[in-house]
Amino acid sequence: MEILQAESPSVGKLITSSECATPYTSVQRIADNFFNSAHLDAVALVEGREPIGLVTRPKLLFTLFKRFGFELYGRKPVITIADIEPLTIHEDERLDVAIDKALDRPAEDIYDEIIVVDDDGYYKGLISVKHMVIQQSNALANSMVQKEIAETRIEELENIEKIKSQFIANVTHELRSPVNAIIGLAELMKMSCEKGYIDQVKDRLTLIMSGATHLRAIITNILDLSKIEAGKMEIIYENFDLMRIVREVAETTKVLLGAKPVAVTVNSEMQSLQIVSDPVKIKQILTNLMGNAAKFTDRGKIMLSVAESDDKLNIRVTDTGIGIRKEDMERLFTAFSQVGDAATKRHEGTGLGLTITKNLLDMLGGDIALNSEFGQGTTFEVTLPIKNNNLNA
Amino acid sequence: MKKTGKKILVIDDDKKHLISVKEILESEGHYVYTHDQAFGSTALAKTLTPDLILLDVNMPGLSGDGLSKIMRAHSDIRDIPIVFYSSNDEDSLREMVRFHQVKGYICKGDIYGLREKVALYLNP
Repeated sequence: MEILQAESPSVGKLITSSECATPYTSVQRIADNFFNSAHLDAVALVEGREPIGLVTRPKLLFTLFKRFGFELYGRKPVITIADIEPLTIHEDERLDVAIDKALDRPAEDIYDEIIVVDDDGYYKGLISVKHMVIQQSNALANSMVQKEIAETRIEELENIEKIKSQFIANVTHELRSPVNAIIGLAELMKMSCEKGYIDQVKDRLTLIMSGATHLRAIITNILDLSKIEAGKMEIIYENFDLMRIVREVAETTKVLLGAKPVAVTVNSEMQSLQIVSDPVKIKQILTNLMGNAAKFTDRGKIMLSVAESDDKLNIRVTDTGIGIRKEDMERLFTAFSQVGDAATKRHEGTGLGLTITKNLLDMLGGDIALNSEFGQGTTFEVTLPIKNNNLNA
Repeated sequence: MKKTGKKILVIDDDKKHLISVKEILESEGHYVYTHDQAFGSTALAKTLTPDLILLDVNMPGLSGDGLSKIMRAHSDIRDIPIVFYSSNDEDSLREMVRFHQVKGYICKGDIYGLREKVALYLNP
């Protein structure tokens, strides 16, 4: 995934042979070399260190096997029958450019080896056109794979972008709706005051407060998630009574349920339980889980139970609510997962509560699991490590 | 309070909004009927034959813009003006009005606009 641009290697890295001979070597000698070495396809003719010609196997053999070929050329210096203007390319030249140059030659020379030279024009070696083409086609295939990877990534990014904008549309509505409810209720209060109906004010204040509480919870969730994502969420360990928090959250849940026929019970053998953890985060986790239970339960009961085993603490929130479909369970802890079509969302909320809960539990070394029967109810089970009751950090 | 005799049907899944919009519009002298879900609202509109329908957009199951399409398909309530009443972004509401056969939109939280625009839509 790290290399995204198509790479075209330089020719210097693809040199296939460094065969060379002086221009005065006899044709016979070079022919012997070709006969003795099946893999030798060409020999560069080098004077000093500079290449001045090229002899290829097919061309040399063609010359020799003509009528009187041996007799005419066998003893002559090879330069007399060599190509004295062979294609010469700098070692840093890009492969695709080199191939273009090679294929630009007359048809009978196209397969001739290419001489590679350095900055000073000194001979570095030979490179076969066949080898270059194979390399180029590999590079091309590679770049196609990389193009595909890049396209997949773009698609992923576009998808994330889509989820983000859906989320923003959703959050905008989730934030604005309670504010507008509060404005409307404040207007009603103003009307009550103008008419002198002071007894109406109290009910309306209760509604405004519940609207404001709801709004605060949404804002807290959004801010908390950004804090977690920025790595700025801190855990501060303290020694505290877990049962006190449990009872407090249970009471808040009753308020959230309002007039719904749902009983809230705390189920534990313990009246008090001193643990070392972060009480603010624990309360937030329990508030999230109980808040969800309250939101999704219209009748029946919500039970908050606490049990202690060897080295772990088990906290369960069980409700008789609408339950969770199997296919929805996996994405439950993923941020924004409640985000679908904001306009027809069944329940209010940002869909951030469980993501935050999971993140906080990770930070506390705990875990969360769920068990749910669609239409029957849901149980969330939180496991927390128990630390020494005495805080001596 | 002098009655206008006009009937308004408000459809919104959020009861807090229903409470406030009902009382605010009643104080203007209108008769206000509320319904807290998209389901059953077409039948209610047929029975009531209101002079104006205020329709929330974000509702579970069926959104307000979807509901407006359904209502426009019923010949006996086709001519009742529909106005979106929503907390959505104003631009998106404006866009929605362009694509649906509705009279307009009112932003939730704009109390002045609620009173004024309802009066305007009732007496064009």
